[in-house]
Parts: sequence; structure tokens; C-alpha cells
Amino acid sequence: MTTQRDGTRKTHAALARQVMDLSRARALRAGDHLAEQVFAGLCGVSRTPIRATFKILEHSGFVEYRATQGYFLAVDPEAVGASLDSQLDTSDGSLADRILADRLARRLEDVQSVSHFIRRYGVTRSAVLNALTILHQDGIIERVPGQAWGFRPILDTPGAIDDSLQFRLVLEPAAILAPGFALDQTRARPLRLQMQKALAASDTWIGAAAFHRQDTEFHQLIAQGSANRFARDALMAHHSLRRITQKDLGTPEFRLRQSLQEHLDILDSLEMRQTEVAADLMSLHLRRSRNQRPDAANRGSPPMMRLPVPK
Amino acid sequence: MSPVIAFFPEASFGAALNCVAIAQALMRRGAVPVFICHAGFAGVFAEYGFKEVHLPLTRGDARSSADYWQDFINRHLPHFALTPLQQVPTYVGPTWQAIVDTAIAAEAGLAEALAQIRPSAVVLDNVIMFPAVAQAGCPWVRVISCAETELPDPVVPPYLSGLAPGDMAGRAAFETAYIAATAAAHARYNDFRRLRGLRALPAGQFLELSPDLNLLLSPDAVRYDRALPLDPATTLYLNGCVRAEAAYAVPVLPDNRGPLVYVSFGSLGSIDTGLIDRMIRVFGTIAARFIVNVGGGLDAYHQVPDNVFLGAWFPQPSVVAQSDLFIHHGGNNSLCEALYFGVPSLVMPYCWDGHDNAMRAEMQGLGLRLHRSDWSGLGLRAAIEGLLADTAMRRRLAEAARQMQDQPGNEAAAVAILAAIGQRT
Repeated sequence: MTTQRDGTRKTHAALARQVMDLSRARALRAGDHLAEQVFAGLCGVSRTPIRATFKILEHSGFVEYRATQGYFLAVDPEAVGASLDSQLDTSDGSLADRILADRLARRLEDVQSVSHFIRRYGVTRSAVLNALTILHQDGIIERVPGQAWGFRPILDTPGAIDDSLQFRLVLEPAAILAPGFALDQTRARPLRLQMQKALAASDTWIGAAAFHRQDTEFHQLIAQGSANRFARDALMAHHSLRRITQKDLGTPEFRLRQSLQEHLDILDSLEMRQTEVAADLMSLHLRRSRNQRPDAANRGSPPMMRLPVPK
Repeated sequence: MSPVIAFFPEASFGAALNCVAIAQALMRRGAVPVFICHAGFAGVFAEYGFKEVHLPLTRGDARSSADYWQDFINRHLPHFALTPLQQVPTYVGPTWQAIVDTAIAAEAGLAEALAQIRPSAVVLDNVIMFPAVAQAGCPWVRVISCAETELPDPVVPPYLSGLAPGDMAGRAAFETAYIAATAAAHARYNDFRRLRGLRALPAGQFLELSPDLNLLLSPDAVRYDRALPLDPATTLYLNGCVRAEAAYAVPVLPDNRGPLVYVSFGSLGSIDTGLIDRMIRVFGTIAARFIVNVGGGLDAYHQVPDNVFLGAWFPQPSVVAQSDLFIHHGGNNSLCEALYFGVPSLVMPYCWDGHDNAMRAEMQGLGLRLHRSDWSGLGLRAAIEGLLADTAMRRRLAEAARQMQDQPGNEAAAVAILAAIGQRT
């Protein structure tokens, strides 16, 4: 299930990030050539999506096209970072993404007909069905009786995010504690480096989009390492949903940095095979991440404030 | 050794985030800010990197906060459509009773917290005095952050009145009603003060000036002339207190044309989902993009127009900085952030200091005041489009923004607080 999700959601934006990450890993610099064939092989896709991805990066100013020569890096991959995320998070315009964005923005009702999607987006029935198939595979939408589709729960409201954190508080420490936990070092090492680098850049904002990407990658890494197959599967599916649907929560920069440090502390414990400490640190991390903001507070009103969380 | 500065803000986001801005400036100067907060605010300050000491729960808190707030909303939502004078007996009087209750209930826990922290100074951003603050054995700093009207003066309109200076008939009527509506709470509060060794306060007043330092959050652009000038030795005007926040990337909307309008009525205002939904329907007819803070009520909205984006929380200073118009309830922080970034305000107040700030913004030509709920779709649309097109107002706002950004209030506050405890910066 997880593999399928990852496959279907390899959007152009995700590919663009991968291209820049690979360029950075290969120490490429501004002016270096980006060979379609090479990157298609590295990303495990054909040349067509790579060409489309280069066009997106060109549009965002990260690469340039030279007639008859192909695409070249316009910037040093080391120098991009949060700017890449802010550019790319709005540049992916596939129909599935547009439907999801509209659902997150509460423009679409719980149940919608295919003809409504056709009218709203001005596309063919087959285009709508393709997009709905992708969203179905992502666990975002499902068929309901009649020619209609119903949206499943996503992380779109404070109540949903609170439910998500409660679910993770139960399962993530347990996933670590299941005997046989094994950390994938080949994925852990580059992730650790990315987080250390973000923390070291004390004079620049981490940025919500870049943080969200690293955060879900980290938690997926932990889930993947669990020896309990059901905990692993449930968490991988949930983190995938988080990656796709969770919006910027407006978390202050301090908390983003603190979260990254907590990730590193958990990795340290796991590498020293101190799984009980790692599980405790995970509980602490998730508790701190629960949104603590009161729902209601005002000048001149007595202090109290958590309204019932809407479900 | 780094001085420890204890902050005790009122349980409102305005006071809380205003204190965050000052605490950030103090921290940059090597001080250690510690926040004392009600349990309902736990975590708000920790997210910005500050230590928190929580007041213990009192018996009143044990009652379900959900029940309490449902009662509060059912009782007061209709009052928010009334005039400031009509709100005096219906909202202001009962609210002062509740504030006195909470001040009395918090006293023992606050004294305990201060004894534990042993601060070099206490910063109080509130509407009522807590004897434990005066008796903490260190200087205390009062932050006046609702509105300048909090400090009475013969030519400044009365606090919460929403009146213009010079409206003497309106003033007399409001003061009479205010003294009558607050009399019972005031008498009870004065008894409490005497019991705790503080002198009684004059009718209608619940908080005195500090003998050490008073920080008045009132930018040059909205400052009042006073018949009795404030003592410059102990009072400092602040040109806003804008905190550092996470950068916000404005989302691309399906209908992404036109200027950007940010809408936020504070957490209490966001509870009125019916009113906000009415506004959203009007926004859908305007050639602009709207970002609307709907607080915890996100689930209540459906079929949101393509040029509108809703969220439960936004890093407000970052959003305002990118906006062309800010529609808000007249909270002083919101008004100051609009001024700091040179953005016009459409103020739709529903209670308390919002009325005073709405009037002041309109009188100074920095925004427009509109009744909270008594408007037509055409009227609201005309107000928004008029403000977006008002180039003369934008010039005045640019000047106000320049002044504020040249003299950031939170930095000035930090310097003054450290000076009050004998520290050089």
C-alpha cells in the first residue's frame, strides 16, 4: 500500500525536489549540465516526467534552458533550501492536487458527483476519473453509492490534527518499542545531515514547508523501522496522509527548531540502541507538538478557553 | 548574572503576544523572560522559546470550560451588536465581575509563582492589579496595551466608550453608566485590595500606574492630546510591539486575482461563525483575495469561494506585512500591526477596547469603522473597495509605518525595563 502511495504521488514538485537534492549530493554547481537520461535513471522514472520537472525548475528560476544543449543549473543547489519549497509548493497543478487543495480549503462538500468535478474544473470525464483514482489510492476519497465520491477524513481542521497527534502518541512510541526495531541507516544519515544543516543556519528561517517535509520523512523513517508490521503499515499510511494533506499550522520558528532537535535526539537514542529512551523522547516530542493555543480568549473576558474540539 | 523578568499577561492573545514581542527583545539583550500564565494558555509561550510557570487550577477552573464558554457565548453574542453605551450594563459590568473573581482566585498562586521565580522585575499586561505583583519585592512594570483610553484624562474619551474627543455630552452619559455598572465589582475589588494591603482605587478604576515604569502602547499616529501630561520619568510611549513570527507563504487560490485582504476578529470573534460566513459570501463578489482567520470554527464553513482561504491560525505579522487591507475587531495589537506595515484597517468592533481603537483609526484617517453586523453586502463591499483605492490614506499609513519601524516599541520597552532594574544595555 505504501509503495503504491509513494508511486502515485510522485508529483512534479516532488521530482523537482529530488532533482535538486541529487544535484546537491553530487556536488553540482550553477552552470553544470543536467542530463535527462541520468536524472531519469536516478529518480526511477522515464525522461518525459523529468523533462516536465526541468521545465518547472526553469519556471522557478532554478535551472535554465539553452537551445540545442538542454538544461543547466542556474543556481548552486546548496544555496536554495526553503525558497525551493515555497516556489514548488504552489507550482504543481495536477487535477488531483487541485481537487485536494479545494477540499482542504473547504470548497468541496463531503460527497461530490463526477459531473460536478467535470463542470468545476472544465476537464473530461476520463481526466476526472484518473484524478479520483489517484486520490483513492492516497486514501483521500472513496466511491459512495450512485455516481459519486465521498471524501475521507484528512488533516484539515484543528480537531483532525488533534486526533492525528493522539493517534500517533499511542502508536509511534509503541512502534519503536516492538522488539526488533531496525533503523535504516542509509536513509537516516542524509536526513540527519539535512536537519543538522537546517539547525546550523541560525540566521535564516527554516520555513514551514521545508520543516513539514523533513518532519514527515523523519516519522516515516521511524515507522519503517518498526518490527510490528501492523503498526508500521498504519503509521506509514497516516504519515503519507499527513504529508499530502496537512497545512502550515503557523508554528513559531522556535518550535520548528526545537522539533528538529528532538528528532536528532531520538535518532541518537536509536543509534545507541536505547529504544526505551527513544520511545519516551518520541512521546515528549508529540506532546509538545500538540497545538496548545486556546480556542477563545479576549481582552476583558475571564481566562479559560478550550472549546470542545469539533470532530 | 542574567536578570530574570517575569511576565504576567492577561489571558488574551493581544496581551500575550504583545509580551512575547517585548520578551524577545529582552532575550536578545541577555535577560531571561519567564511567563506566568493561566493553565488555558499553557504552551503558547513555550512555542516561542520561553519558560512558563502555570498558575494552579482553582475551583472555578474545574468546571468544564466547554460549558462555561457555551454559556458565555449564548449570553453575550447578542450583546456584541449593541452600542458601547448599551454594552455597559449588558457586557461590561458582568465582565468586570468575572475579572475581579479571577483576580481574587489567582492571587495565592501568583504570589507562590513569584516567590519561586524571584524575578528582577514583573511585567504586568492586564486590566486589573494583582496585589502579589506590587508585593513581589522588585520593580513592577505596567503595560497599557488595550488602548490609550485606559489612562483617564479630562480630554481623552472614557475607556471602552468608543467616543471621539470633545463629545462631552456622550462622555457624561457614558461615565455615569459605567460607574453604576461597575460599582458592585469595584466595591468588592477594593475590599480585596485593602485586605491585601493596597490602597483603594477611585470609582471605575481597577489598576493604578506603576511607580517604577509604565509602557503605553500607543503609536504616534493614534496618540491623544492630554490635558494632564503623563510623567515622562515613569511613562514611555511605545510605537507598537510587533513580534517576530514565522514567515508565511500566501497560498495560490483558484481565483488568484487582485489585492490581498486579511481578516481576523480574534479568537472570541471567530466564534460567531454565522457572521463570518455572511462576510465570506460578500468576499466572493469582490475582485480580491481574502485570507480569513476562523479560529477553531473551521468545520462550520462549506462551499468557500475560490478567492477566499480559511485557516485556524496565522502568523499574523507575516500575513499583515503582505496584505493590502486588514479587516479586524480593533484589538490594539491588530491595529498596531496594520500601522507598523502601513496597511489600512477596516475595523468592525464587537466589544471592549475595539470600540476605542476603531474610533481612533477612523478619526486619524488610518482606516474605517463599520458596525459589526449591521451592514449590507453592498455596503461592506463598498467599504472594502474604497479602502483599497484610498491612496491618500496609504500615504498617511506609509508615514506611520516609517515612524514605527524606525523606533520599534518592543526594543524601547526592553531597554526601559532593564534601566528600571539598573541594568545598562
